[in-house]
Amino acid sequence: MAVLDVNGLRTHYQRMAARDPVGEPPIAVFVHGLGYDSLASFYLTLAAPVSEAGIDVLTYDLRAHGRTERPATGYTLKDFVGDLGALLDGLGVDRPVHLVGNSFGGTIAFSFAAAHPHRVRSIVSIEAEPATVPWADKMGRTLVNVVDEMGKEENLRWLAETFGNHHAKLARAAHGIIRSTSIVEEVPTGPLLSPEELMEIRCPVLSIVGSEGFQQDDLTAVQDALPNCRTVVIEGQNHSVLVERHRTVRELVLDWVAQHDGERRAA
Amino acid sequence: MTTTTVLDELRSMLVRVLDQYGLDDLEITRGTSFHDDLGLESIDLVTLGSLLVEHYGEHVNLAAYLAELDLDSVIALTVGDLADFVIARVG
Repeated sequence: MAVLDVNGLRTHYQRMAARDPVGEPPIAVFVHGLGYDSLASFYLTLAAPVSEAGIDVLTYDLRAHGRTERPATGYTLKDFVGDLGALLDGLGVDRPVHLVGNSFGGTIAFSFAAAHPHRVRSIVSIEAEPATVPWADKMGRTLVNVVDEMGKEENLRWLAETFGNHHAKLARAAHGIIRSTSIVEEVPTGPLLSPEELMEIRCPVLSIVGSEGFQQDDLTAVQDALPNCRTVVIEGQNHSVLVERHRTVRELVLDWVAQHDGERRAA
Repeated sequence: MTTTTVLDELRSMLVRVLDQYGLDDLEITRGTSFHDDLGLESIDLVTLGSLLVEHYGEHVNLAAYLAELDLDSVIALTVGDLADFVIARVG
């Protein structure tokens, strides 16, 4: 297992080298979501086909997730952004990266781009939005709801009976993170981005959303808040865009990187 | 390479993956499912993927194999399925 000390935490990451690279290949960094999630969501879906298409791939387990250490505190976006920067530094990645973020992973991508614009070539945001005041309200409510509902044994039984043991196990794991850390209190605190700061995120952004997903009330809200963003809506899809529609996401990501790294080479 | 050899090798890798859960007397057959029988989480498949590369080389790429499957097929995956994949890749 590949492990690196990142800001004092043993951090699990996986790299897949570009197959048959031409010159210095583009690099895509996959950032997973909160709670249920780990780098496995990307490892089992996009990582191999993207690397086979000639793109270097890096993905990692966020603090407290998967095989990365779980500190009791330290869960603001500043911490998550700091981890991503330290991981890239530790692995010697100094060229601009294509950040592909799923759910909260996309939120980290936006905050990282705001803090380090020169390090980000583009962003693919999957069912994600930047850390704004409305995001914090929604995130706070969702996390409190998760704490209230997921700890109840009858709800875990219902999950197991309705969706299978797999979902109940994932829910238990997520609840373990929530119980043993300050993640619920810290994540909604941001730091949040102002409308002016969002307009400074000038890299190209592709926002992929499910028509029945977390942004169903306003599918183009992310595009409207950013200067250089376009939206792709996956019809009839809930929040699980990455896992349930991974072939569609793969094609979108491959086209996107080819388009935007072509620009870089031409320049 | 015979199926028996590969099954033995997969068994020892799975013991390593599952070591953290305190399981050491695993009975593993071709029909054993990773999810329902062994209780593997998706992150355990990542660990198994690393062990496969370590043992057989880069061409036994579990991530590439699983990326072609639907979620239901990944959840239903058995040790026999994986053994067939390894044999096809290693020859």
